[in-house]
Amino acid sequence: MRTRSAVFIQIRDLLGFGLTIAAAVLLILRGSEQLGYNWHWRQVPRYFYTLIDGQFLPGPLLKGLALTLEITAISLVLAGVLGLMTALLRLSSSLIGRGLARFYLESIRNTPLLVQLFFLYFVMAPIFDIGRTATAVLALSLFEGAYASEIFRAGIESIGRGQWEACHSLGLSRAQTYGRVILPQALRRILPPLTSQAVSLIKDSALVSTIAVYDLTMEGRTIIAETFLTFEIWLVVAALYLGLTLTLSVLANGLERRYPRIA
Amino acid sequence: MELNKQSINRDEVIIVAEHLVKTFPGPVLALDDFSIRVKRGEVLVVIGPSGSGKSTLLRCLNGLEAIDSGTIVIDAIPLDHHESNRLAIRREVGMVFQSFNLFPHLSVLENINLAQCLVRKKSKPEATRTTRELLAKVGLGEKIDSYPDELSGGQQQRVAIARALALRPKVMLFDEATSALDPEMIGEVLEVMRTLAEEGMTMVVVTHEMGFAREVSDRVVLMEAGRLVEEGATEQFFLQPVQERTREFLRQIL
Ligand SMILES: Nc1ncnc2c1ncn2[C@@H]1O[C@H](COP(=O)(O)OP(=O)(O)OP(=O)(O)O)[C@@H](O)[C@H]1O
Ligand SMILES: [Mg+2]
Repeated sequence: MRTRSAVFIQIRDLLGFGLTIAAAVLLILRGSEQLGYNWHWRQVPRYFYTLIDGQFLPGPLLKGLALTLEITAISLVLAGVLGLMTALLRLSSSLIGRGLARFYLESIRNTPLLVQLFFLYFVMAPIFDIGRTATAVLALSLFEGAYASEIFRAGIESIGRGQWEACHSLGLSRAQTYGRVILPQALRRILPPLTSQAVSLIKDSALVSTIAVYDLTMEGRTIIAETFLTFEIWLVVAALYLGLTLTLSVLANGLERRYPRIA
Repeated sequence: MELNKQSINRDEVIIVAEHLVKTFPGPVLALDDFSIRVKRGEVLVVIGPSGSGKSTLLRCLNGLEAIDSGTIVIDAIPLDHHESNRLAIRREVGMVFQSFNLFPHLSVLENINLAQCLVRKKSKPEATRTTRELLAKVGLGEKIDSYPDELSGGQQQRVAIARALALRPKVMLFDEATSALDPEMIGEVLEVMRTLAEEGMTMVVVTHEMGFAREVSDRVVLMEAGRLVEEGATEQFFLQPVQERTREFLRQIL
């Protein structure tokens, strides 16, 4: 049961949060007024969707959001798989495997994502005939996968030697030990850093607009170029990204609460 | 499961370890030309001062540590470089650790079922039947759905013993199974070990519980600096040790 004072603190915090937001909004409004900016919020909804003869037509913002979702979802899965495999390679006894993993990690982590994206888009894509969206997915997966692999590795290494030894003495194979004992515990532990990596992926995905992939950011830029609704659209685009990342955090939180065993 | 101790051929050797040498970086000579034989159904207690190599011996016997030289044969399977042999020995030799090492994310049932299903390829109902049997045996029938962190140390260790027994091992190794326990829980674990011994399980036991050693073991070995100081039948070992070092050690701990 919550105590009175806990409820009071929550209400106080909520009030504080509300006031801060209100102050920020006020500041922006005042600032934009001084700039002589004319707000045209009523023009914004049509870039989400239009209704023609009662038919729902998604606008550029929704289309961009859908593509951003698609790109990040696929990249998330690929980065996860790539990250886990790289971590396992690094922890394996194979010298070649470890070297390969190291090479991948070092080259990704020591070059800018934007350069990787351009390299894939201008060099690799023409050679291997890869589409734009696929190039975007590939770049994001490779990039976030490298960081995810470090998280996986730390998680796996955090599981005590005793767990390995118990599995060994029970005759479990290495794969069984990883799959049934080590990874389930490690995953639970690394869920928070893994979530923030996923949030980074969503944010970094905005960079794919530089190779003319029509994601949320690119659609926003295009609308602004045509309509000069600069303030409105950037605010909306930012809010949409915020919505995406917050949803992800809430989902991860739920997952964490569902598997509370082992802290 | 019930084995009649009398029906066992007491002369059949199940563990043969010869000229074991194990060094750790340092260098530490943890096992220094150590040899031991254990007969089927025998309970061997290994004692010795801290750092004398008792744990290392047990860990080498089930392949957790690789020996530098020497030979280990368990139930006619040589512990050599053949992966199939190593795996077979891991399956035939159960081990109980000082720190229990239960799987914290799995319930008691899942802890004990896991290897039965994965290693012995049993169906889940079949494994669960064995698990219930073993839990009843270690006196924890009602804890089947608990998680390790909901159990006391003594209860966790009994689950760990049940988990090792679930594979029907031919040999059980105990490395200070009661050392991490509060005094009032030591008895319940020793009781389970005593029952096992009475049923004819071959056991190699590292312990500081001299009362248990005298009562349950058939033979005692004293180690020091990776070497065998003295070995003898339990009564004789405690009452008429040959080596002066043994007498001194016994004086210290008794
Ligand atoms: N993994 C390791 N790395 C380095 N040295 C080790 C390792 N394991 C054991 N040793 C050393 O080997 C020697 C024997 O250790 P071991 O654990 O077998 O002793 P023990 O008889 O079990 O002692 P205790 O009664 O304290 O458990 C010790 O000197 C120890 O420091
Ligand atoms: Mg020890």
